[in-house]
Amino acid sequence: MSIEIRNISKTFESFQALQGVSLEVKSGELMALLGPSGSGKTTLLRIIAGLEFPDPGSGEVVFHGEDVTGQGAQQRQVGFVFQHYALFRHLTVFENIAFGLRVRPRNRRPTEAKIIEKVTELLRLIQLEGLAGRYPSQLSGGQRQRVALARSLAVEPRVLLLDEPFGALDAKVRKELRRWLRRLHDEIHVTSLFVTHDQDEALEVADRVVVMNHGRIEQVGTPKEVYDQPANPFVYDFLGNVNLFRGRLNSGRVQIGSANFQAPDHPETLDAPALAFVRPHDIKLSRQASSEASMSATIVQLSALGPYVRVELRQEDGELLEVQLTQEEERQFLPRPGETVFVELRNLRVFASDYSI
Amino acid sequence: MSSLQTASETKIRPVPRHPSAEPRWLRWLLIGGALSFLALFLFVPLVAVFVNAFHKGWEAYWQAFLTPSTQSAICLTLLTAVIAVPLNLVFGVMAAWAIAKFDFRGKNLLLTLIDLPFSVSPVIAGLMFVLLFGRQGWFGAWLDEQEIKIIFAVPGIVLASVFVTFPFVARELIPLMQSQGRDEEEAATVLGASGWKTFWRVTLPNIKWGLVYGVILCNARAMGEFGAVSVVSGHISGLTNTMPLQIEILYNEYNFVAAFAVASLLAMLALVTLGIKTLVESQHASALRHKHPVQRPTS
Repeated sequence: MSIEIRNISKTFESFQALQGVSLEVKSGELMALLGPSGSGKTTLLRIIAGLEFPDPGSGEVVFHGEDVTGQGAQQRQVGFVFQHYALFRHLTVFENIAFGLRVRPRNRRPTEAKIIEKVTELLRLIQLEGLAGRYPSQLSGGQRQRVALARSLAVEPRVLLLDEPFGALDAKVRKELRRWLRRLHDEIHVTSLFVTHDQDEALEVADRVVVMNHGRIEQVGTPKEVYDQPANPFVYDFLGNVNLFRGRLNSGRVQIGSANFQAPDHPETLDAPALAFVRPHDIKLSRQASSEASMSATIVQLSALGPYVRVELRQEDGELLEVQLTQEEERQFLPRPGETVFVELRNLRVFASDYSI
Repeated sequence: MSSLQTASETKIRPVPRHPSAEPRWLRWLLIGGALSFLALFLFVPLVAVFVNAFHKGWEAYWQAFLTPSTQSAICLTLLTAVIAVPLNLVFGVMAAWAIAKFDFRGKNLLLTLIDLPFSVSPVIAGLMFVLLFGRQGWFGAWLDEQEIKIIFAVPGIVLASVFVTFPFVARELIPLMQSQGRDEEEAATVLGASGWKTFWRVTLPNIKWGLVYGVILCNARAMGEFGAVSVVSGHISGLTNTMPLQIEILYNEYNFVAAFAVASLLAMLALVTLGIKTLVESQHASALRHKHPVQRPTS
């Protein structure tokens, strides 16, 4: 079941949450909506669920060719997982999962035996077989979220929507649960869309990632595409740590301070301001200037971060620079605070600077 | 070495007091103050009511309830409660639902209006109805033509009681429903539940205890209201006297035993409702504990 969103806008009083958003989620795909808070990702998800409605006349929500824009949440047959679970606190785990089946009109309601069978099957799927009689308050956060997921799957939804599903969990449970969600999706293949502000989560779990900002879509692509070929400075900046340089772009080359780099993406630009980005792990330290692409900087501080060592350097113009070394590299190079070294930038991405961050 | 040092240091240090713990004398002062206040203003008057009611013995106490005018007062009080409480139950749930779950223009105005009966003196509430429905009032002439009597009759008493008691249920539910948010209702809707089913299966079970409490308070006030009812009643013995009014009349007739006997009945009604409330709450809690022993979450 595919989801298609065509030119949706949404305004809350004076705030425009979505500005003409169009998106297609392919059948059976697991897609992430990634963006900072206030970027409109949750609003988009709630519009797809029918919990919010787009501005009148602004566009359509289409499920597998069927226009559902006018339908309310009750008719759309979607599964929705809330950030804070929204389990029914007065019902047991079993009854929570069975809820969607029990509220069906009599002629479509399954028999009690069918309901028990379905709930038992889902309890097995979420690995909580022994806890059917518990109340939500007696479960941990991770368990609650799995129950919420099972509850939404019980009605055999056409699409599954998850709003920051792991947002309220601690780091370790979060990681376990998102891997589990990935495996689950590989098993059941329901078209799924989840909202997150955590780029690791999006890149690790999703088939494709939608990066949103200020109510617009900045880029849609596989995790590799958005990470390696970000469409613009915002995407580059949002997906992981970056170092930003300001320079001038001129016929395929960019000048940053005293160093000069190739910028093959911009062969035609003549003498324009440019922004260049480099990831901290794409910077090499050396003690000799190896080419015209290296510049000198002074080491300010070293900090150990698990398997990595973060080196903070000050460039000649006073700007700070962050470099990430593996422990191996650090042992070989032995950087010392106060020492002046040369940095060599690799995989530099250059944008003509009519963009702003 | 260092661990030894810290161990000896802790030994020397005085036992740390809980940071929020008050000194003993202050605790006793506070507890004693609160208890003596309660005794003076609640317990002693309550005991006085029962002592006065029984001071001529059981027989005299019992006789007080056998006069027709007292019996009719008791009936009228029950009738008033039976009408006012369900009305305010429905109204209170509707108002709380609207305020907690929806955003609309005039929401704050509605909130303020719900509080109006609390802030207006009950006597004024009664007068308001006299001005509206009394013989000289706005609708007085018309009502006269239709031969409908509201003021100095049972409908007036019910109206005044409904007005005075209408905030109780709503006030109890609004903060509860606001704190619960809309998530569970939204979840039910997405799962395909209609608005009606969502209300019965999700909203109502969640507000059940608040609702019970609101109804108990509402009922207590409906039975005990004096001021507003006094204005609209007309004090027609055997017809428009409620229990509080009957108590006043008996007292003014120097019939102290009967007055305190009826008062003791009202007081007992209050005690019984409080008892029921406590029982209901504790049973609910223990039922939850027995059915599902709490275990520490593992992950």
